[in-house]
Amino acid sequence: MRPGKLWRLARGNLLRELGALSVSAGGVALGIACLVFFLALGAGIERVVHDVFPVSTREVEVVVPSLAIGSLLGEAKLDEAMLTRLRKLPGVAAAYPKMSLRVPAVTRYNGLFFGREIHMGLEVIGVGLPPELVGTDARLPFEDKGEDKPIPVVINRRLLELYNKVFAPQRGLPKLTDSMLVGFQFPIELGRSYVSGKTLPNLQETSLVLVGFSDRATLAGASMPLSAARRINARFGADAETYSSVLLRADSAEDVAQVASAVKRMGFELDESERNRALQIGAAVELVTLALSLLGALITALAAVNTMQAFYASVRERRREIGILRAVGATRGDVAGVLLAEAAATGLTGGLVGVALARAVAWGLDRLSLTHLPDFPFKPATFFHFEWRHIALGVGVALLAALAGAFFPARAAARLDPAKALTEG
Amino acid sequence: MSEPAVVLRGVKKRYPPREPGLAPQELFRGVDLEVRRGEFVAIEGQSGSGKSTLLHVMGGLDRDYEGEAHVLGCDLRTLDDRALSSLRHLQIGFIFQSFNLLPGLTALENALLPDFFGEGIPDAPKRAREALARVGLADKAGARPTALSGGERQRIAIARALIARPPLLLADEPTGNLDARTGEGVIELFRELHKDGMTLVIVTHEARVSHAATRVLLLREGAIVADPGAQESTD
Repeated sequence: MRPGKLWRLARGNLLRELGALSVSAGGVALGIACLVFFLALGAGIERVVHDVFPVSTREVEVVVPSLAIGSLLGEAKLDEAMLTRLRKLPGVAAAYPKMSLRVPAVTRYNGLFFGREIHMGLEVIGVGLPPELVGTDARLPFEDKGEDKPIPVVINRRLLELYNKVFAPQRGLPKLTDSMLVGFQFPIELGRSYVSGKTLPNLQETSLVLVGFSDRATLAGASMPLSAARRINARFGADAETYSSVLLRADSAEDVAQVASAVKRMGFELDESERNRALQIGAAVELVTLALSLLGALITALAAVNTMQAFYASVRERRREIGILRAVGATRGDVAGVLLAEAAATGLTGGLVGVALARAVAWGLDRLSLTHLPDFPFKPATFFHFEWRHIALGVGVALLAALAGAFFPARAAARLDPAKALTEG
Repeated sequence: MSEPAVVLRGVKKRYPPREPGLAPQELFRGVDLEVRRGEFVAIEGQSGSGKSTLLHVMGGLDRDYEGEAHVLGCDLRTLDDRALSSLRHLQIGFIFQSFNLLPGLTALENALLPDFFGEGIPDAPKRAREALARVGLADKAGARPTALSGGERQRIAIARALIARPPLLLADEPTGNLDARTGEGVIELFRELHKDGMTLVIVTHEARVSHAATRVLLLREGAIVADPGAQESTD
């Protein structure tokens, strides 16, 4: 039986049994709506987590163990020679050394800050980064031009988000954007600490200039060119030779395990705190998504049972018609095919309506969030991310559920004795 | 003498007992029948004598019997579902007392129904329109069965049976639900089909149908009791 003819025959029956099949399609639509809705919600939340904790699958951060025999003996240190060894490890594509500012520093701001008069003093934590790691995130040159010039810094975008959503509203300060801040200069005193109340000899007053925002920048503080951190540490007699950490980029994600293993054999550790946090949150989101998706799958399964009952009833009512089909040349397979085509149409309709319903509810909730929820850090424009695979899965599951529901009724119809169907129908 | 279109030899059929402990009901005690190609045979019998069942056996719709059934040279017992469906599709036309049209389809689509199955029917739309014209319903092609009278429905059922131009037509009380005038029109159509060389086996209890037939058989107490054709062959 050709598909076009199969569909024409099925369409006639579908139109006739619109009421009963609408109930079946509605059940499927409800289940699929739940399934697709929760999958999209999970994907949306995962996106937010990824934005808050960006994790590269190709990179590891090498640090000196906080307590190790090697470090006590002075063996495990991240100096230039070790950096060269790390670069030569199999599977390593690039190595980026980082050096903490080992000198206390504070900023004291008294004056107009984007239209508001403020008086503020803050301890500054600084980290030196190689300019190639920051790359195009820096919109102005990210290079140390010497002692009497402002030090270029990049700031983590998450810091700006926290400022805008928490700090600024609490203090009545203006909300800021990237473009407002790039080029902004603020004073810094190198060699002074508000926390310990100490001031080192050779205190230096200079300034920082914000040149951009980067996910590479430290979360708590400002990131400056590596050469600037090295110069300032040397000026105050602090360690300017060893790095605080080295970021290793592997050739591929598959090489990461091998690189990590080699690094550990060399006596170093991997700073995986952020990665672990992201993984833990990601796993929790996945677990909740899975549980809620199972709820959607359960509703779809119930819809399949409802479809089965509807099709059994349909077969009972259409016994005579089935007999006629057999009399004019339909095989058992043709009879089953007609019923399964009707089920497929029911399932597809239910699936598409379910996907549309999920999208509509998601849109409504996003609108509610936008208008009724307070603006909190990292609040996304949408909590949902509808991927093609979710939609394909939703429609596919709907189709399968309807076909599974109609399978036994279709088999029963195919097995009907045509003579009995004609006389007893 | 022409080839046989239908041959039944010793066909027996029993129904299970209505209550435990009772004997099975015997519908056919051994039906012997031969219908030659081009014949117009009417089978008469009382209600419940098994006329429709006999027609279902000839059409391969009922396979629960003992004995032999050969239709258009095919031993029905040896055919699988696909081959039997193909035989019904292209070689046998069925007409039922209660018309049995599909309510979701138009008159033309009902006439086209056999084209939906197997490899279809060559020139099916053209043939369907011709068949509708032949039964006088060319102008009702788009109508649904519910909008048609009983006579019109039966004529559409006849058009459906004719679309494949089958050599054998099996009709079960085709005029049973029709008024006298409409029934006469249908009988006239059967006469024309017979003239065209089609083999017709019609189950009926109406004398006017039997009068149109070239041979009349009587099914009584589970056997064919009057078969002039069989007599001829023994002569």
